[in-house]
Amino acid sequence: MPAYKLTYFNARGRAEPIRLLFAAAGIKYEDVRIEGADWPALKPKTPMGYLPILEVDGATLCESTAIARFVAKRAGLVGKDDLQQAKADMIDDGMKDILRKLILMVLEKDEIKKEELKTDISEKTLPEFLSKYENLANPSGFFVGDSLSWVDVTFYNLIERVRAMFPGDHLKGKPNLVKVMANVKANPGIAKWVKERPESAF
Amino acid sequence: MPAYKLTYFNVRGRGELIRLLFAAGEIPYEDVRIESDNWPELKPKTPMGQVPILEVDGEVICQSMAIARFVAREAGLLGKTHLDQARADMLLDGGIDVGKLFEEMVMEKDASKKAEKKKEFGEKTLPPFLALYEGFAGDNGYFVGYSLTWSDIAFFNMMDFITAEFPSALDGYCNLTKVIKIVKRVPGIAKWLKERPITDN
Repeated sequence: MPAYKLTYFNARGRAEPIRLLFAAAGIKYEDVRIEGADWPALKPKTPMGYLPILEVDGATLCESTAIARFVAKRAGLVGKDDLQQAKADMIDDGMKDILRKLILMVLEKDEIKKEELKTDISEKTLPEFLSKYENLANPSGFFVGDSLSWVDVTFYNLIERVRAMFPGDHLKGKPNLVKVMANVKANPGIAKWVKERPESAF
Repeated sequence: MPAYKLTYFNVRGRGELIRLLFAAGEIPYEDVRIESDNWPELKPKTPMGQVPILEVDGEVICQSMAIARFVAREAGLLGKTHLDQARADMLLDGGIDVGKLFEEMVMEKDASKKAEKKKEFGEKTLPPFLALYEGFAGDNGYFVGYSLTWSDIAFFNMMDFITAEFPSALDGYCNLTKVIKIVKRVPGIAKWLKERPITDN
């Protein structure tokens, strides 16, 4: 009986980094996916009225980054000392801006505004972000130290989302980032999960 | 004993939580405040083109929350177990949207838009958030377990900004008022609040 129960919608969305981390560490968990119709009944039972939530040791956690960091700690994927942990936190926090812009673009209903946002991302935000992160990753393909940490995994997830919306070889000329992606994909737990995970629209 | 050097503008803004945590832990640090004129020269030397940055042990860390979490750990204010730490993280993250809306309201230059945003924030955004967090705060005045963690200090910092615009925001919220009282009485913080430079934001 797994000690971890993750609840989210049937989507990758904000839960996927958590699922990838469980997979990377080979930790068993219950991957609960609810239907939209079931959400109103569940909502008041969540700490802050949104998903994902993680139930563990009698407690319920929300906030996807807080959950991801917690799972990373349990999985030994946080970095070996406090400075490495801080570096990992910094790397993950730095991804939030572009993620926010992607979400705003996806949610934008006005077609003209949407195109503007899209262009801004593909011509400005994304290249700037990738340049910065190429310098932050090391040549062996890790953001922190010399082994896989949770932020290599969240970076991989972000790039997969970006590629779905903006097809193209964005990592051309960025060998460190190419290596990060390869390292994450080579993790046996992640490779298996990516093959077997349920298909979903986003 | 590592040397800590924090660099930010001469404002509270995204640096103040870090400064409060250094103060709470009574950890000495260099509190560098740069002028906007000096920023263009410093910017390319930072990891992501932003401040605050913290220099420690030859490393440079950016992202205010990453730095804050690091200092909280050094100060013993992270939370005792992984679960406590995750709870503190969750409470902090849960306040981010509200913090952003407040910031947008404060930065709004158009006077009538600002008045609208202020009304919306005070009537629609803030009350449900405070009601939710009143439930999270224990009646002993701590958000996590039975002792001070950085989530108490972060809440204090956020309300320090908000009560400047909405002075009676915490009226009627007993647990939250207790959190604020306890944070203000932490010796290092009491001292810092008396001595810190006065800035508009």
